[in-house]
Amino acid sequence: MSTPSGLRNDTPRDAPASACGELIVLASSAWPAGPRAALPAVPGFIVSSFSPLAAHLAELCLLQYFGSPPADPGLGRQTGVVLASTTGDIATAAEVARVVDEGRPVPPLLFYQSNQNAVAGHIAARWGLEGPVVCTIPARRGLADAMDSAALLIEGEEAAAALVILADQGRPGDSGGTPAGDSGTAMLIGPARWSLQPFGPRRDADGTPGRNQSLGES
Amino acid sequence: MADAKQGGGEPGQVVITGMSAASAFGRGTGPLLAGALSGQPAFGQVRRFGVDGRRATAAAELQGPVVLADELAAVIGAACDEAGLSPADRASAELLMALHSDAAAARDAATPAVTGSTAADVAVRTGLPEPPRVYATACVAGSTAIADGAAMIVSGRAVRVVAAAGYLVDPDSFAMFDGARVLARDGQVRPFSAGRQGLLLGDGVAAVVLESGDAARGRGARPLARLAGWGRAGDAYHVCQPSPDGRGLARAIDAALRRGRIDPAAIGYVNANGTGTSHADSAETAALRRSLGAGVDAIPVSSTKSVHGHALEASALLELVLTVLVMRAGQLPVNAGYLGQDPDCGLDLVLGSPREVPGGRRHALSLNAAFGGASTALLVAAA
Repeated sequence: MSTPSGLRNDTPRDAPASACGELIVLASSAWPAGPRAALPAVPGFIVSSFSPLAAHLAELCLLQYFGSPPADPGLGRQTGVVLASTTGDIATAAEVARVVDEGRPVPPLLFYQSNQNAVAGHIAARWGLEGPVVCTIPARRGLADAMDSAALLIEGEEAAAALVILADQGRPGDSGGTPAGDSGTAMLIGPARWSLQPFGPRRDADGTPGRNQSLGES
Repeated sequence: MADAKQGGGEPGQVVITGMSAASAFGRGTGPLLAGALSGQPAFGQVRRFGVDGRRATAAAELQGPVVLADELAAVIGAACDEAGLSPADRASAELLMALHSDAAAARDAATPAVTGSTAADVAVRTGLPEPPRVYATACVAGSTAIADGAAMIVSGRAVRVVAAAGYLVDPDSFAMFDGARVLARDGQVRPFSAGRQGLLLGDGVAAVVLESGDAARGRGARPLARLAGWGRAGDAYHVCQPSPDGRGLARAIDAALRRGRIDPAAIGYVNANGTGTSHADSAETAALRRSLGAGVDAIPVSSTKSVHGHALEASALLELVLTVLVMRAGQLPVNAGYLGQDPDCGLDLVLGSPREVPGGRRHALSLNAAFGGASTALLVAAA
């Protein structure tokens, strides 16, 4: 894998020692991982594939490390959530615009899911992740920028680890049908010592045994 | 213990050297401060678009035609001017921006992102680099940009960061909030009060220049305030409801005080999130009590959303600017719209008329919370 900027290689020399420990990828997931399949629905989220995409990426990733929800409380308390998307939830925004232009009341569920925070909160609540929640629209660097956001949390000792999700929404017709074009990646990054924690089967999304990978590897 | 330290020359210090804002009270920090201290809410019937068929009809709007990119460029320019930044200083700064979804982009099938191209356009107009990202963390987007900016300065990644945020009341967000029945139908925001009905939206555009203390001193800049601490945490509780025990916000406050190395006795003011919604205000009260203990009873609290409204992604930055302004003025703004005590919201609210900052207290907290349980606390101190 390429080295995301802003992590180990960019660690400032004068940062606290506790913030300078090597960060590794404890688990990861991707979508689509193979032949396209429908994203699992998430109760309370409608119309758009964005939140199901983010939730599915998180689920695949966290299952590898923690085995089943919730996370170990001691680790979940120190884990933040970074949800980045270069598109944002364009399907929900377009649906809200359509309903408004038709002069109809906006269904409350569209309000609740209208911001990336909503599904980030769903993930945090399901897994007991009590660290900071950060949602962004990266301009150009996608996952690398999301990693920068996570690095700021960890170096600043606001979190020990972070679930980093990049979820980009395709448009209808991008590849012939919804949710064609949806894609994303999730990584749980944290200190190397967490690789010794006896949680979960640590299997990759395809079921094979996972391998912890240093962010410094290329 | 009062202040463990005061604005000095310590390494890693983050200072505020310039700021500006636009709100329904007008353009610039002067109208914002005067409006807040007047205690007179800026809410009125929405004029920018039709609200026929909506349950609520009020918001706090800037007068006349408004264009978000124009307002952002103006406040960024004013903040940089106040900081005394040269064109070279601006070109070498980092720009971090928090924005709401763009209503025009939502109607453009080819739009690249829900926030449109506003951030890049404003960067070009202001002579600042294109922001690496837009912060979309809902009602803590502005404070998240501030926290990241401060972290970048402390880590040595940046010397100077311009944080900007903007939200102008638009028909899509108004319809969404109205559809969810969270807007106050009585046209007033009544934080922490019995009989509160909900929030009202308000225009907010703000910019803050953060610098390392060393860099500011090196070029002879006079800091307006010091960002003494910041904290971020999550509730891990619900998609959109705050945890009733306020645990996430309490941990954010704890982190800000720990970073600032002060105890509650040093806090002279809390600019509360105070949306005027039932659950959020009681949860915030619980958070304050959980973090500050009995000391909270001696700390003046108000939510200025009661006068300028809720500016969503820009709310935290607008309220940070106002917190710095009132601490410098020594006058604390009222918590408007108050009808009577809610037993779940027992706080020392500033009611009736502005109150002086308690003697000797040089710190203030600006609190915000958002969907997904995202909570932030910014701790400012006299420079």
